Amino acid sequence: MEIPYIVNARKDTGLFNSKIAIWLFLASEVMLFGGFFSAYVFLRLGADYPWPERTLPVLPGLINTFVLIGSSVTVVFAWAALKLRNWRQFQIYMSITVLCALLFMVLKGVEYNVKLHHQAVRLSDYSVVEGHLGYEKKGDDYVLDHNGKKIEENMIRLQLEEGGTTTFSVLRFHADWVEEILMEADSAKAELKLLADIKGDESNSDAGKVYFAAGTPLSIDLLKEIKKVHLIARAHNAELRTNALRQEWVVAKAENPGKKDWEISDQVSIDTTALSPRLLTEMSTATFATSKSFELIFKPRDVKEGAEQSRLRDDTTIKGKLLASPMVFHNVDAIDFQHLVMKADEKGIDPETAIQNSWLMQNNPFVREAWAWHEEGVAALTKRLTEEYGLDEKGEPNREPTHKELYRIGWKDLAKFGEERHQISLSATDSLKEEFMGPNYEARGEETFPHLSVPREEIGFASKFAPAWNTYYAIYFTMTGLHGLHVIGGALVLAYYLFFGRKMYLENPEWLANRVEVGGLFWHFVDLVWIFVFPILYLM
Amino acid sequence: MAHSSELTTAQEIQKSKKVYLAVFGALLVGTVVTVLVATVEALDVGKHGFDKWDAVLGLFIATVKASLVAYIFMHLNHEKKAVYWIFFSALLLCASMFGILFLAKYSPIFDKFFY
Repeated sequence: MEIPYIVNARKDTGLFNSKIAIWLFLASEVMLFGGFFSAYVFLRLGADYPWPERTLPVLPGLINTFVLIGSSVTVVFAWAALKLRNWRQFQIYMSITVLCALLFMVLKGVEYNVKLHHQAVRLSDYSVVEGHLGYEKKGDDYVLDHNGKKIEENMIRLQLEEGGTTTFSVLRFHADWVEEILMEADSAKAELKLLADIKGDESNSDAGKVYFAAGTPLSIDLLKEIKKVHLIARAHNAELRTNALRQEWVVAKAENPGKKDWEISDQVSIDTTALSPRLLTEMSTATFATSKSFELIFKPRDVKEGAEQSRLRDDTTIKGKLLASPMVFHNVDAIDFQHLVMKADEKGIDPETAIQNSWLMQNNPFVREAWAWHEEGVAALTKRLTEEYGLDEKGEPNREPTHKELYRIGWKDLAKFGEERHQISLSATDSLKEEFMGPNYEARGEETFPHLSVPREEIGFASKFAPAWNTYYAIYFTMTGLHGLHVIGGALVLAYYLFFGRKMYLENPEWLANRVEVGGLFWHFVDLVWIFVFPILYLM
Repeated sequence: MAHSSELTTAQEIQKSKKVYLAVFGALLVGTVVTVLVATVEALDVGKHGFDKWDAVLGLFIATVKASLVAYIFMHLNHEKKAVYWIFFSALLLCASMFGILFLAKYSPIFDKFFY
């Protein structure tokens, strides 16, 4: 069957059909992206933290803008080449378009990668530290997890004393963690044994029956065995209870003819004491005690830690001491008091006092030095702005340093601080690389980007620069991610025309030209969205 | 043969290619201007640093650039009625939905005297 109106226009619309289709699709896209832009405005106006202004690297964003604009031109040239029946030229322009899309995605990938490996932590006093964490080492070797990956120096350490107990949920226990606990115990030559007999309850039909004897050593198989017995008991009991309840309803209905169910529902209840001699004992947890003291480490997201008792995500309760579990930055690359000042303002505290009293200023000599240096810079900036832009009629300066300039020491500031103090200078290539990859720790060294160990109790919230960090990064990843998916989708379609279009070109060149026009329309739209995304997310 | 666009003859297409290049140049200049007004202190509008006037200027330049793309590259300068109906009704709906955002200010949730 021939597809109608792919080359010739329909009389009523004056257009070939696929053009109507793509415009309908683009109309829906306008509303989709419009929704995200309005979400951005909403989040920004409602943010209860200092919105990160101009926080993304401008140079990669700028290059990406050029790349997309350039590809918009080449795609329209590719279409023109088809219209003029010049296959060779079409190939050239379309190849450039697809390469531009690739370049865009590579730059975007680098940007994402840098963000997703960059750590941020908000301390409990709302000062913010940014940088990179170190990795756990034993001697000179890195400690690897079971995937063979290095473990960040951001672990919760627990000490299980002799006789200390670990209680597993037999339904929810995560076998990998049980294995880890067993391994740690093994390396300390400790044994985990069942604390007490798991036996039938006195009131139940299995009264006194010992299912699992105290002293049985912990193993995943044992937990699975307990789980099996537990599930059998549950199924058995559930059936008994359901039958009993059903019986109750039959009786209640017979006694109250003509009444609605909800009117008699409070008369219906199971007599549990009568039922219990027929029930089996359910054993949802199993508790093990250790013969010797040993240490356990867990990722912060896997454990809710407490001084005496911690709970893993699989509901395992560990009764052990919380050891010092600092988060160790090997390179701090920004110190930010904006949020702290915002909170101080809300409480009517003088910002300078709040900063001086912050944990960082109280405990870290580097931060004190950097802050003193920063304040000199702010004073100089304030002076220069007043001199250059003068005062208004009320005697207030026309221009003042921004909140960010006042209270944030970003990586470029720290780099400058290091350059001034230690006469560090970078080669032009290294400096350019920094614009894409962020601060260069190797070249600038620890005197510029120092170590910092943050005690666990000082941590308010920690995250990579991922959607979880704040609503800015959430909307940034959502919008650029969605846009990136459009780039990939568009590039795939255009590449299809490039690599598989020859046959159609020979049979029906006008059809291919129309297809490319439609693909091009989508591509221009992707460019159009970026024209708004770039200034809004990168420059505002 | 009827085409949706008026670009039917080779001559017209060749001519339009020059327009495309001119638009390309304008878009590049617009992008550079956007970055300069946002990063160079002497070109900063309004107060020092980012403020609403920077947003107005930045979005104005972006709108001009986007209009160029839509008008020239997407051929909205000579399209059939159906396309205008589809596209502009979507744009209008989107803009009116955007307008609803500003009602949020008057919602009791955001009224600090409410609680």
